Amino acid sequence: MKKDIDTLKKRSRRRRDVVEQAGSASLALSGLVGMFFLVVLVWQIAIPTFIDGENGEISAASEFIPISDYVLEWDHPNVNEQGDLKTEPIVLTITWEGQTGAQTHDLEIVVTANRGEKEDVQISEEGLSTTSIEVGKKTKFYLKSVLDVPVSVEQRSGPVPAADASGNPHVSSFVVSGDVAVLISNGSAVFEPLEMAGWTSLLVLTFIVSRPTERRLAPLVRCYGRERQIRGIILLLAIFTIVIGQTTLSAFLGGLCWLLFGVALLRTIEGMERLQNQGRSLTEVKRLKHSISDREGLLLWSRMLLVSACFFIPLDIDIPFLTERYQDIFQPYASGIRSAFFGTVWVMSIAMLVSMPISIGAAIYLEEYAAPTRTTKLIQALVTNLAGVPSIVFGMFGLAIFVKQGGIGLGLGPSILAAGLTMGVMAMPIIVLASQEALRSVPRSLRESAYGVGCTQWQVVKDHVLPSAMPGIMTGSILAMSRIMGEAAPLVVVGAAALVLFDPEPLAALTGGNLNFTVIPIQIYFWTSEPEHAWHSMAAAASIALILLLIAMNSIAIVLRQHFRKRLNS
Amino acid sequence: MSEKIGGEHVPDSTRALDVDGDIDLMVDDLDLWYADKQALFGVSLPIAKNAVTALIGPSGCGKSTLLRTINRMNDLIPICRYEGTITKGDVEITAKDADLVEIRKNIGMVFQRPNPFPKSIYENVGYGVRLHYQPSREELDEIIEKSLKRAAIWSEVADRLHDLGTSLSGGQQQRLCIARTIAIEPDIILMDEPCSALDPIATAAIEELILELKKDFTVVIVTHSMSQAARVSDYTGFMYLGRMVEFSKTDKIFSDPAEELTKRYITGRFG
Repeated sequence: MKKDIDTLKKRSRRRRDVVEQAGSASLALSGLVGMFFLVVLVWQIAIPTFIDGENGEISAASEFIPISDYVLEWDHPNVNEQGDLKTEPIVLTITWEGQTGAQTHDLEIVVTANRGEKEDVQISEEGLSTTSIEVGKKTKFYLKSVLDVPVSVEQRSGPVPAADASGNPHVSSFVVSGDVAVLISNGSAVFEPLEMAGWTSLLVLTFIVSRPTERRLAPLVRCYGRERQIRGIILLLAIFTIVIGQTTLSAFLGGLCWLLFGVALLRTIEGMERLQNQGRSLTEVKRLKHSISDREGLLLWSRMLLVSACFFIPLDIDIPFLTERYQDIFQPYASGIRSAFFGTVWVMSIAMLVSMPISIGAAIYLEEYAAPTRTTKLIQALVTNLAGVPSIVFGMFGLAIFVKQGGIGLGLGPSILAAGLTMGVMAMPIIVLASQEALRSVPRSLRESAYGVGCTQWQVVKDHVLPSAMPGIMTGSILAMSRIMGEAAPLVVVGAAALVLFDPEPLAALTGGNLNFTVIPIQIYFWTSEPEHAWHSMAAAASIALILLLIAMNSIAIVLRQHFRKRLNS
Repeated sequence: MSEKIGGEHVPDSTRALDVDGDIDLMVDDLDLWYADKQALFGVSLPIAKNAVTALIGPSGCGKSTLLRTINRMNDLIPICRYEGTITKGDVEITAKDADLVEIRKNIGMVFQRPNPFPKSIYENVGYGVRLHYQPSREELDEIIEKSLKRAAIWSEVADRLHDLGTSLSGGQQQRLCIARTIAIEPDIILMDEPCSALDPIATAAIEELILELKKDFTVVIVTHSMSQAARVSDYTGFMYLGRMVEFSKTDKIFSDPAEELTKRYITGRFG
């Protein structure tokens, strides 16, 4: 009898193991598939943006024409900084591997004040159809080849096409260079030596703290009691890094690295000393990590910084694309998303200011104060359902309530204010639900102990329940915000514009300014519907910008959560 | 009078309620319902000043319910309603317009599971004090030190007052909760099985503390351990199925109970 039970037990254990393995295997598989799609997605987004920006003006005329055909475009090639005519001609060297050997021909382009005759240059076995042409303002001509070999075009002298006032090419897209330069970009190092040292120190410390052994920690032991000196040195290094790097972005990041390194180092030493005072081994990874990371999220931060460095610094993020350049209807590569960027920032700010206080208040009322009557149950059901309503419906709501005049409409017009309010209304049910969930998860014992010392209901909520629920509320709110940040549909209905060539005014609806505005998703949408391929690349670049903004938002969520959790834990 | 429920003759709540000395609080003929289910049947209980009153009885007999009614903690449960009166001096605690904050300030409570606030030890004790009085910083420091000393935990936490209250061990947490309660100087301390989540050593420490607290406070304690009731209490009430079966001096209940039911429960024959 006993034996039967043994076999039964064994069999059930085997079945449990099989189920376990099958479950984890399928999880891993679905994870892999997800990762694959993610990689494909990123690839699909990233590839079109790796435009050879420097040569963007001399690019294949079309995907359907042999690569030896080029289109050449100039914006203001003939005007210098003072607005005077430039006399220096543009010289292109055109080479190809002909049947009679390598051929090299120069093409001289003379810039004139007037619009030049539109003339295409033909390339054949005999050479170029002409060696000199005249071009004027906003000239575009084609370089057409009848050869069946690739032709390469190199600019030898003269202003770079579409040059800006400083003579630098004004054709970079969001990601400037086609090459993924890891440490060296265009022949020069991306990082100054000091910045590099900052990155390396942080990397080494992160590694040591993640996997501590006696030997790795030995150098740190020698730092005991020298906290003040360390603090001073690190601060100096950080300042030097920023000053020497001439306050560029990478210099700031380098300085940040030094600061983070300093704080992490001091925390580590402090934690090690505490461990030793308690007579514990230094290599108690969990405790050491706890003393560093859990409190401040330092480890998390250094990892985030390192990862972001790996991904973004080498690509030379083109900040002007984001915050300086407006859309240029003639030149995709000279366009930026400045107005859309500010539009998004304003819409999000208004949405956040409006929806967060109201929603959190509503959640507190529903969860803590409202008696469970039929009315509150109905409201609860409505809120739950609202969270699932398609966003276009909110757009219609916004159109009726905020945009239109008359009836119940506020008559704000197709403005940022109306858009922000619409988005805020859209975020409300999500925030309410997330906040309610967070409030509900506060243990009853905490409320009881607070009531036990004689708190009023408001004191219980304010001093105990809300601080405990705050991390959850913050996370929910920011996630709701990042969701509505990517929404285009409601704003199409509210009336975001396709082309805005000025900074939007957030309160135009009240002050009577220009109402027009646009946001990044809308900009992407309109760019993708342009026929010219280059705009699609710009749309991809704008998508990456949007994703970066989302990452930034989510990092803020993490920081806020850490902050409130820290307040809770200290 | 008695009623036969589940094979047991359950007597009605007793009216024999004699205590020596002053009565601090009087529960009079309390009926209580959770929705439609009656949990207390005409319970009366005198609570003697500066003495320890223990409530014993099998699980679900209404001990905790009775305790939580004394400082109106049951008001937090929406389906709970009650009839009867509880009076403390000339204050009617069960009055509709009673000041709950004042009641809970004067009748502190220690819960079954240690539940310090997720704040520092200092804040845990100081929070209630700041809520009800406006102490200066020095006064507050003094009150906190005094309370922690009275709760016999000062020596263990003196050097880490700013650590989290929840980082202490279970027994320490419970003493911290007691310190938090006595810091606001209540008259009565209600303890709802304060030792049920603790090990024997921590339990001994708490019991010692209760005997110490008796000098300044009136203590009501709900306990599952009859030996604990015998050790710490001066009066004991035995409850069964929502009735106060017997109330008497602890010596009398444990040596010569008046009711057959009490006798059988104490000797461990049921419950």
